[in-house]
Amino acid sequence: MALPRQLRALPSWTIPLVLGVLLVAAPWLGISSGTRRLLLLTCILALLSSGLNLSFGYAGELALGQAAMYATGAYLTGYLAMHWVNDLALLVLVAAAAALVVGLVSGVPGLRLGGWSLAMTSFFLVLLVPQFLDLLEHYTGGAVGMVGIPRPRLFGAELSSLDMYVVVAVITVCWFALMRNLITSRHGVAFQVLRESPILASSLGISVYRMKLTAYAIGAIPAGIAGALFAYVDKYLAPHSFGFTLAVTVLAASILGGAKSIYGPFVGAAVMQYGPLRSTEFEQYTQIVYGIFLILAGTLVANGLAGLADRAVARLAARWRPTPDVLATGEAAPAGPAPDGPALPPLTGARLEVTDVRKRFGGLQALGGVTLTAVPGQITALIGPNGSGKTTLLNVICGYYRIDSGSIHLGDAEITGRSTHDVARAGVARTFQTPLFPQHITVREAVAAGAYSPRHVGMAAAILRLPRYRRAAAADRAEVDDVLRLVGAARLADVEAASLPLGTRRLLEVARALVARPKVLLLDEVASGLDEDEIDRLAELIRAIRAAGTTVILVEHNFRLVLDLADAIHVLAQSELIASGTPDEIENHPRVLSEYLGVRQEVHP
Amino acid sequence: MTPIWSGLSIGAVYALIAIGYNVVFIAYTTFNFAHAQLMMFAIFVTYWGLVVAELPVLLIFAIAAVGVGLIALLEEFVAIRPVKGAHAHLVTTLGMATLLDGTTRLIWGDQVLKVPAVGSDATFTLLGGRISVPEVVLVVSVVAIAVAMIVYSRRSLTGLALLAMAEDRDAALLRGINVKRLALGAFVFTGVLAGLTGPLVGPKTFAVSTLAAALALKGFVALAIGGFGSLPGALLGGFLVGLVESLTGRWLGSQLPTIMVFVVLLLILMLKPTGLFGTTRERMV
Repeated sequence: MALPRQLRALPSWTIPLVLGVLLVAAPWLGISSGTRRLLLLTCILALLSSGLNLSFGYAGELALGQAAMYATGAYLTGYLAMHWVNDLALLVLVAAAAALVVGLVSGVPGLRLGGWSLAMTSFFLVLLVPQFLDLLEHYTGGAVGMVGIPRPRLFGAELSSLDMYVVVAVITVCWFALMRNLITSRHGVAFQVLRESPILASSLGISVYRMKLTAYAIGAIPAGIAGALFAYVDKYLAPHSFGFTLAVTVLAASILGGAKSIYGPFVGAAVMQYGPLRSTEFEQYTQIVYGIFLILAGTLVANGLAGLADRAVARLAARWRPTPDVLATGEAAPAGPAPDGPALPPLTGARLEVTDVRKRFGGLQALGGVTLTAVPGQITALIGPNGSGKTTLLNVICGYYRIDSGSIHLGDAEITGRSTHDVARAGVARTFQTPLFPQHITVREAVAAGAYSPRHVGMAAAILRLPRYRRAAAADRAEVDDVLRLVGAARLADVEAASLPLGTRRLLEVARALVARPKVLLLDEVASGLDEDEIDRLAELIRAIRAAGTTVILVEHNFRLVLDLADAIHVLAQSELIASGTPDEIENHPRVLSEYLGVRQEVHP
Repeated sequence: MTPIWSGLSIGAVYALIAIGYNVVFIAYTTFNFAHAQLMMFAIFVTYWGLVVAELPVLLIFAIAAVGVGLIALLEEFVAIRPVKGAHAHLVTTLGMATLLDGTTRLIWGDQVLKVPAVGSDATFTLLGGRISVPEVVLVVSVVAIAVAMIVYSRRSLTGLALLAMAEDRDAALLRGINVKRLALGAFVFTGVLAGLTGPLVGPKTFAVSTLAAALALKGFVALAIGGFGSLPGALLGGFLVGLVESLTGRWLGSQLPTIMVFVVLLLILMLKPTGLFGTTRERMV
């Protein structure tokens, strides 16, 4: 009973570290040379699949280009070792850099279109490998292959095949450690947000394109390294080692181990090396087996072996240590601002000016010359019937839509036509009509995502766990705790955000927006679907946000709530502003009464 | 002039592949990696029918159409229907593509098989360039098929329902369109079309188990040039890719055509990622 609990209490990297040490020490644990070679090839395949996981599993872009980057690394290493300098450390670096370049060159155009164009572009790249090798026959040996690669040397000393095994194992362990650091950092959460909802990602200030490109390009690095290692291990390179079959093998290992996992690729690679890749009779049926495997894995298996393991661990943990049902206790004390919770720290608001904004969707006029101003420390409400253009206006401000004419200013800066992530970085945060929370992300991670770009910490700092990263992570944690306490959701910090009830998710969206310390906060129908108690708590929270100094724009159907909260109200109907004024003025405005509230009125000409 | 005729006729094949991609894209907003494999299968069936079994031509067309249509039906059931989302479909249809590649190799081996023409294979001079009868038939049929499909999609109720479905699946469903059956019909249609055109394509491409990968890529470039979902774009894109390939081979050497097509793909993605006829649809929140 006690053992599993102790195991769970260990830091999550303990077991992988022990396994990593075992991997490096394997030759001294009495394995045969055949097993050693299999482990070596497993490491190389694991490096390739791990790179694919970053782009496919985490950033959500299927890419098959790993094989091309691998080929680049291998051939470059082979050629340079023969004709320039035979130093493993240097050539591994060169191979990684060259693979990165290949990744960028194919990723920059491949990601422009989104969807499956990266998959096809990278697939194309793989099929071009033999053609390029042919074209550069003088250097690569063409179809015959490259022969005569010398034994590896490291800092002047020649490496035996045992030494080489240790080098490969150490490099692999190091790569997985770095990968683990990246994925468990806020960048890992950002990748998952990106995969599940590009819309949310860009509203958090994440450039979808840049982030996907980064994932794909970083994924190239282990492929290049693997290529360099392979060149030294086999000392003979031929085009058929780098073709489409390899691309599919890498994909199969990734899916088998779990595309959305850190260590899964190693397990997947091991299964592939010990199973199908070892037998020679298999060759004839390779494609058939892989094909069936991809169809089955794609339809049946959720996140491969890693997914199965996760579920098994969760089930065991639940048996040994039943977690209190947070949701059930949530009934007794529902989420909401605690009466004596911490007040919001002061926030700097900015004036938002929308001037004569027009937007048409084909023949439909969505905004016909809307002008309004929202000022810091005030709540500016936007009301109007469904389809009157309220959400369109928010989307226009956020940069989801390009406007046909008019201008939008934030403080002194013009934000017209800027992309969504730029607008978000300029200080505009928002909530959505349907709260957006990616699956499998805890409340804490989801809310902390709000701080991702306002207080950005580079990937290098995160991967190497530099002091800068540690400070930012600690500050994040404290701030998220504060904000969660403020919205009354502190107890829910470790629950999966997407599983919570609507009312709680709405409050969490506000929390996420607050963590970004916005200058302007856009709330889109934030009270819809809430019960009266929840609405009261929400109103209190919105007032606290106003008191902190932010500019709040509230799109809302609950007329009472709007009259209660707003300092200024703008009424949209049929894509135009029909009235603007204080709550008192709006409450008695004849056109508002007739068009929005549907109260019959005699019209005095 | 000969390379131009040759480019146009191989371009017609790419256009056919791109049209197949497009129909699936319209019906499912997804990408069928295995479409080129369907075409390749039809070509091998033609080879088998003409050379091995020596069947009458009409029967070969029928066998190819029904056979490949059934494979498409099977694919829809095992690789498209059970999963949702373009990326999941990429994996499953890639699986289907690999499976079909493997099956083809198992049955027919690795060597290049010459597929005879179903009719005359005479060559003649047209505007100063040599062109063969099968090539003329191929280009004319592909243009006719594309035009017929364009007219059909704009004039017929089924075509309009398909377009409505591509625009908004749920709204189409609410309008009383049997989305599932319509989509399945469209998918099987791509298989039947591949089957029917396979015998026309065979003499041009020959039958070889690596054909599908090459066709898939060139077809994709045609699609990217023309724009996703655009049938005229697919036609034009196909001819452009064919011409680039053929003219590069003629003037710059035999190693470069594929690389040149790749460069064209990179250029179009950089300069006009939506393609010539594609439209950007604005995102909705």
